[in-house]
Amino acid sequence: MAYTEQELEKELEHKEYEYGFYTDIESDKLPKGLNEDIVRAISKKKNEPEWMTEWRLEAYRGWEKMQEPDWSNVNYEKPDYQNISYYSSPNSSKPKYDSIDEVDPELLDTFNKLGISLEEQKKLAGVAVDVVMDSTSVATTFKKNLAEKGIIFCSISEAIQEYPELVKKYMGSVVPKNDNFFAALNSAVFSDGSFCYIPKGVKCPMELSTYFRINESGTGQFERTLVIAEDSSYVSYLEGCTAPMRDENQLHAAVVELVALDNAEIKYSTVQNWFPGDKEGKGGVFNFVTKRGLCEKNAKISWTQVETGSAVTWKYPSCVLKGDNSIGEFYSIALTNNYQQADTGTKMIHLGNDTKSTIISKGISAGRSQNSYRGLVKANSRAKNARNFSQCDSLLMGNKCGAHTFPYIEASSNSAQIEHEATTSKIGEDQIFYCNQRGIDEEKAIALIVNGFSKEVLNKLPMEFAVEAQKLLEISLEGSVG
Amino acid sequence: MLQIKNLHATVEGEEILKGINLSIKPGEVHAIMGPNGSGKSTLASVIAGNEDYEVQEGDIIFDKANISELSPDERAHKGIFLSFQYPVSIPGVSVTNFIKTSINQIRKSRGLEEMSASDMLKTMREKSKLLGIDRKFLSRSLNENFSGGEKKRNEIFQMAMLEPKLAILDETDSGLDIDALKTVANGVNKLRTEDNATLVITHYQRLLDYIVPDVVHVLLDGKIVKSGDKDLALKLEREGYDWLKTETVNA
Amino acid sequence: MAQTDQDLKEKLISSFFAFEEQMDLENDHHQMRDDAIKIFEEKGFPTKKLEEWKYTSLRPVLNSDFNLFPKEEKSLEYNDIKKYCIHDIDSYQIVFIDGVYSSHLSTTTHDKFDACLMSSFLNRPKYKPLVDKYFNQITPKESMDALNTAFSKEGAYIRVPKEVAAEKPVQILNFSTGSDEKLMLQPRNLIIVEEGAEVEVIERHQSLTENEVLTNSVTEIFLEKNAKLDHYKIQNDKQKASLIDSTYVKQAESSDCEIYTFSFGGKLTRNNLHYFQDGEYINSSMKGVTIIEDKQHVDHNTLVHHTQPNCESHQDYKGIFADRSTGVFNGRVLVDKIAQKTNAFQSNNNILIDDKATINSKPQLEIFADDVACSHGCTIGELDEEALFYMRSRGIPEKEARALLMYAFANNVLNSVNIPELKRRITKQIANKIGVSLGFEL
Ligand SMILES: Nc1ncnc2c1ncn2[C@@H]1O[C@H](COP(=O)(O)OP(=O)(O)OP(=O)(O)O)[C@@H](O)[C@H]1O
Ligand SMILES: [Mg+2]
Repeated sequence: MAYTEQELEKELEHKEYEYGFYTDIESDKLPKGLNEDIVRAISKKKNEPEWMTEWRLEAYRGWEKMQEPDWSNVNYEKPDYQNISYYSSPNSSKPKYDSIDEVDPELLDTFNKLGISLEEQKKLAGVAVDVVMDSTSVATTFKKNLAEKGIIFCSISEAIQEYPELVKKYMGSVVPKNDNFFAALNSAVFSDGSFCYIPKGVKCPMELSTYFRINESGTGQFERTLVIAEDSSYVSYLEGCTAPMRDENQLHAAVVELVALDNAEIKYSTVQNWFPGDKEGKGGVFNFVTKRGLCEKNAKISWTQVETGSAVTWKYPSCVLKGDNSIGEFYSIALTNNYQQADTGTKMIHLGNDTKSTIISKGISAGRSQNSYRGLVKANSRAKNARNFSQCDSLLMGNKCGAHTFPYIEASSNSAQIEHEATTSKIGEDQIFYCNQRGIDEEKAIALIVNGFSKEVLNKLPMEFAVEAQKLLEISLEGSVG
Repeated sequence: MLQIKNLHATVEGEEILKGINLSIKPGEVHAIMGPNGSGKSTLASVIAGNEDYEVQEGDIIFDKANISELSPDERAHKGIFLSFQYPVSIPGVSVTNFIKTSINQIRKSRGLEEMSASDMLKTMREKSKLLGIDRKFLSRSLNENFSGGEKKRNEIFQMAMLEPKLAILDETDSGLDIDALKTVANGVNKLRTEDNATLVITHYQRLLDYIVPDVVHVLLDGKIVKSGDKDLALKLEREGYDWLKTETVNA
Repeated sequence: MAQTDQDLKEKLISSFFAFEEQMDLENDHHQMRDDAIKIFEEKGFPTKKLEEWKYTSLRPVLNSDFNLFPKEEKSLEYNDIKKYCIHDIDSYQIVFIDGVYSSHLSTTTHDKFDACLMSSFLNRPKYKPLVDKYFNQITPKESMDALNTAFSKEGAYIRVPKEVAAEKPVQILNFSTGSDEKLMLQPRNLIIVEEGAEVEVIERHQSLTENEVLTNSVTEIFLEKNAKLDHYKIQNDKQKASLIDSTYVKQAESSDCEIYTFSFGGKLTRNNLHYFQDGEYINSSMKGVTIIEDKQHVDHNTLVHHTQPNCESHQDYKGIFADRSTGVFNGRVLVDKIAQKTNAFQSNNNILIDDKATINSKPQLEIFADDVACSHGCTIGELDEEALFYMRSRGIPEKEARALLMYAFANNVLNSVNIPELKRRITKQIANKIGVSLGFEL
């Protein structure tokens, strides 16, 4: 028997992840602090219709009653929410630098290692660029191609104006506006984000990437993404990029909702490389994300993530396997160095019959970092023949860091088959010697071995992304040896 | 090319090598034989620079330079290659990727450009053919779930790719089937030049039928107790080591 | 008036003063008990809001008006209890009836080692140094433990001196007779195995009627250098009997402690089994077989804290759950920074027989040292399909084949049980539970 929406909502009540942050930013936009007026002002500035303003306000009222949760494995100073500015218009954000010479050479060095073109480097670093840019024109042709197939790919602000029915129907349908503290906050104040709609039976011919959109409008600290794949459609979506993202906003609380209708497939890949803070652990982004996908009959959602950035990462991209025969996948690499803390994993909620999920998680901890896998696999008594396989491996480099595994496995069905394995180990001295003997020095040897360790997940990324991600792992480990 | 003088080495406080003297000239093939545990692999590891072993005394001169203080990768850059008795596996790292990294690191150390992808591919094709290695093999994870023989072949394949000056083959023959033994030995012979040298560690005469040594040494309890020409290996095959043990005791 | 856990809490606290008056107020433990009741007063009964109690609610067993002190002493005859002890082995027996020591059913010793009563241990001056050194030293300051400490008075005391191997096992048997309609018990045990000493212990809680009983038991175990302990817990109680069994083990260098928990019955069972390793080359192992049905609930909460290098721990828990029963496995392995070369293995395998049965498993690794080999595995619902096929191809009907496989699944935990009679008993119980006819009498 299929689930009713109410039952689903109840399932979702299980409080999602909870996160926290502190921030200390200057903003000359809206006054600091959060109240109904600010929420209204945000909505007004964005010229939103009344229903959207109401929606935000409801989220805000819910948020007000919620408490920032405490979690055991991450330590950070909780922010003063009344001391944050909740709106900065992307249009008004001036270029930070007039010329590339003013940019931190270390940052440019990293760009070069990643093989990022000079034009892109300027954009990423916030250098003023010429009006006519390569990628703008690329983006335009790109959009035209998509439009021919009926695919909508635009900013969420634009979607609110242009496709209100779709937004009304789906926004908040997977991550309810008061799902958790940070999702509620995002729902009240979200700045912008992406909207993507794939019509029935359409196979999106290219990887959709926020990269193009970012170039147009700049990212926000409260990003909101909504991807809808209609019956029998397919889309592969890439989020983030390998280039280090410096952002003066310390707090990032994004929401991503995926809806995969009958027979649809969504592949969602993320490379997260926000500023992790310096070697002493100062600064760095707090990245608290609510990501969840809903699978209808025969639908499939795969989350693939490479997490190397942020001072604190808390995210659990999840799949609600509501439809019979639906499939959820989660492939993750989380690398932490210096004082980074990552608490990441997934939730696979098996509700329909014959649903399957796979979890492959690779954690790499170096420096003084703490790296945790936290995941839930739940097979409800009405979910016949639920199948799950989870493999969580951790690699420790040095003994000042920690690697932790916290799987929650809840099964109430005798037809469920769930298998979870986890291992923790270090790189073998003999492996390093073997590499050394072939002329490969220690740092390179470690990079090689770490890449091998992460291979299963890297292979799930779209090709060009995989190559970059591989380099990124290498760069992120630099200086962790010896 | 290689001179070892009065080499003493310990592991965890126990002396394994007790004064080794050995000299190998360019173009030569030397064989080392000796009972289990006599220190053959230890000698190979010490030449390659394994830091698990502590050199107490003696010097290792390679290409006229004292390499005793060099790290294992620096020695590899100079052209020392060790085919391991027990090669370790590195999950997720393909043979191709590994060799590519290895070659480019060695080139880099010599101030050379990275090898172009097409050259790399061409050489790999050539050498894998020479050693009868299936191309599918090259995309597998290094040594992971390789059979004993496959591991050894892979070692020789890497040797062929790296073209070292000094190749030390530690029991490369064990685990190889008869045909593979011939292929590998052929490969080694084809790679021989005037300028490089080979040190073969083995228990069996069989390999030496194919790779004919100029000098055969017997290592016994951490010392080279006898050296001779290829006939020494034949005598060992027939008579074992006992006669040498009594000989050294009596000496 | 409906009883709530709040009422029970009130009752416990007010009874505490009466209890204390009965006891000798001059006694050193007065202060300890007093502190403990304060902790309990502050924390109250644990609720599902606590991460460690996420999957187990005590509510259903706390809303009864329990008697805290049995009204009358009831005597039992050996025949009443025979079937609950391993009677066909030579052993010492320490027997309690409704929390009170029964001398005529017990065989204690002070000969080569001590196997006697907690009450005499706590009160006789000659034990004072040992009491100071060991009693209540490793019990955490959590509410149920504190509650036990506050009311701690009776239980088993076992001490095996240096280099002594106990010549026979010790059975600790706790019976409740049902002469009180509802009874709450707080047994407290202490086991000390000194340097190079060895002992085997069998522990059981058993009610003899269908009346309600709640046992909140705490056992502290100390193993000194090179000591060895095998401890078997048999939990196969009646429908209305609930048990919170907390066992805390502290091990010194090169000691070896193996604890088995066989959970086959009872209403609600919560096992806290925590090991604290305090030396190198320690082996800690815990094994469990849980086979339950109806609405029974069994929760295994384990912790191994590796604090020193070169130690091992092994956890192997198997569970088979029928009807509406629920199982919980919450296992933690904690490896400190200096605990290099730790080998820690944790495995939890479960089979749900019915669609209403539930298992919640949370195997956790928290690792701060890099040179370790740690792993855990958890499976739910997998019988070896190949073996099943093989058996069926030899003409064994599917139902029987499944039962046989399940029997094998549970039974392999028993491989290392060192008391053959016990092994035979448990094997038979497993077979009965699963409904396998072994075709031969054990
Ligand atoms: N890392 C080590 N730690 C402890 N002992 C070692 C170590 N490496 C080698 N040894 C010991 O040193 C001695 C020599 O070992 P080695 O491997 O060099 O022998 P071998 O001559 O290669 O033997 P085989 O013919 O069996 O390969 C042996 O007794 C061995 O146990
Ligand atoms: Mg050897």
